[in-house]
Amino acid sequence: MRTLMYDTYSVMWRELKHWMDQKVRILVSIFQPLIWLALMGNVMAKLTDNPFGRQAFGGASYLSFMTPGIIVMTSLFGGIFGGISVVWDRRWGYLNKMLAAPISRTAIPLGKMLATAIQGAFQSLIVVIIASLFGVEFATGIPGIIAIILLAACFNFTMAGLSIAIASRIKTMEVLTAVINFLTMPLMFTSSAMFPINVMPDWLATIARWNPITYVVNPLRTLVISGWETGDLIKGFLYVLFLAILMLFIARHEFKRSIA
Amino acid sequence: MKVIEVKDLAKTYYSPFGNIEAVKGISFEVEEGEIFGFLGPNGAGKSTTIMMLTTLVKPTKGTAKILGYDVVHQPNEVRRVIGYVSQDLTVDDTLTGWENMYLQGRFYHLPKEVIKQRSEELLKLLRLYERAKDKAETYSGGMRKRLDIAMGLIHRPKILFLDEPTLGLDVQTRQDIWEYVQKIRKENGMTIFLTTHYMEEADSLCDRIAIIDKGEIKALDTPRRLKDSIGGDLISLKISNESLEEISKFLEKVKTLEVVKNITSQDGRYTIVASNAEKLIPVIFSIAYESNINISSITMKKPSLDDVYLAYTGKEFRDEEGSKEDAMRMRRLVRRTR
Repeated sequence: MRTLMYDTYSVMWRELKHWMDQKVRILVSIFQPLIWLALMGNVMAKLTDNPFGRQAFGGASYLSFMTPGIIVMTSLFGGIFGGISVVWDRRWGYLNKMLAAPISRTAIPLGKMLATAIQGAFQSLIVVIIASLFGVEFATGIPGIIAIILLAACFNFTMAGLSIAIASRIKTMEVLTAVINFLTMPLMFTSSAMFPINVMPDWLATIARWNPITYVVNPLRTLVISGWETGDLIKGFLYVLFLAILMLFIARHEFKRSIA
Repeated sequence: MKVIEVKDLAKTYYSPFGNIEAVKGISFEVEEGEIFGFLGPNGAGKSTTIMMLTTLVKPTKGTAKILGYDVVHQPNEVRRVIGYVSQDLTVDDTLTGWENMYLQGRFYHLPKEVIKQRSEELLKLLRLYERAKDKAETYSGGMRKRLDIAMGLIHRPKILFLDEPTLGLDVQTRQDIWEYVQKIRKENGMTIFLTTHYMEEADSLCDRIAIIDKGEIKALDTPRRLKDSIGGDLISLKISNESLEEISKFLEKVKTLEVVKNITSQDGRYTIVASNAEKLIPVIFSIAYESNINISSITMKKPSLDDVYLAYTGKEFRDEEGSKEDAMRMRRLVRRTR
């Protein structure tokens, strides 16, 4: 157990070093939510100008409605590309270097997932800051923001696990990127991240209710718009935590299978 | 003391398109302190063998023990006592020399002070100390390889596995690297298991050499005895006569001489294997004169490992180099576009 933690830190340290080295990537992570909020917020603002619209969006401005959606979206994309480094490490032979050392095999996926979670927390914080600059008020204040960031980090962790699991089977970058894009886009647009379920056509609403992203967005949304709805919040947290742990085991299993 | 014991080790890769027997049941032993070389063409099973010995690939059959530890059942014990430098340049480009060493030390669970002290030692030894604060991406190919080797040594392994350590490096760097490896071996009493495709290197460095081809060990001995096993010196002849009959009559006569062991022909050149070749040449000339044979050129040489290799695998070693070099260049290119 001590070895696992020690080795996980080693792997995570390397990933974070890589991340901090990519200044452009950090800049993009700032500008992307900025553009989303500025663009979507302005274009869609009219949606919530009328009472009907306001009701559909849970009595909030579209920007407040959108903010949790953007947090989940950045987590989804950031997370799902977090596992890609496994493919690079395999291709450059660095993976073998790690595997020839007496480090815990679980530490490799876990370290990468944790590094992604930390990046996700950082990115969510940026989205929160930008959103408040655009005038979004967080109903639950600072503790709520901390809860939002924790949830987002958990979701990042889960998605990184998913991508490690996929990357353990698909070992070429080109195919992997295609598969990931194929997965993320529909996942995003069939969830309640962009639009409320109650304005969706029935078929889409049914998909959205089953979409895991909806389960993550909903507790985030209550934190931003309506305040501490403890029941929903606990349900959401437990769900995300369950997903994270499940994905850790799947990623670990798939990764170990790929190196056996 | 035997530090590597391999018995009937085999690896088969199963796939729906047909199974590949990469290694077909090889056995050998390596003594403590030896430099043991593995020679063979691409796809001979060299890397697969190294990967089985370093716990990276599970054998299909057979056993391998490193310092008495079984590679399948005690992988972590094995990992602690071995160092592995793969044929890919596996330094982390975004990290500095120091950071690369630090991370590697952490992978082996060394205390921080030990990592620091040994990194300093190794970086100085491999002439990287001045550049240790720079990122590895600014290093030349030779420097990267040196860093790679330094990383493989940080935990003072008892056995160092070097998979084609000088592949694609220039002559000077290659010599440097071998010098360091020799030095380190002397200081730590390390055993070295290496693969190389440079014959001269294998010849001058290795205490013993195994020639591997198509997953099997074809020969295993000291370079000296491998060369002796060919049966003597090599005389190569070119004959300008048209008539094959005349030539074969002449060769028959030469063959009857006691010192001649064997005659082969390839692309119009005839190779005579004989002991005491210096004294044989005048005799060959006088026989040629008697049989009306015009010798257009003649060369004599002591057998090299190349000849041994050719004799055991039926392949000229040089044929393999081109493709390997190309592959390496490709790899570099991809690396740069990252």
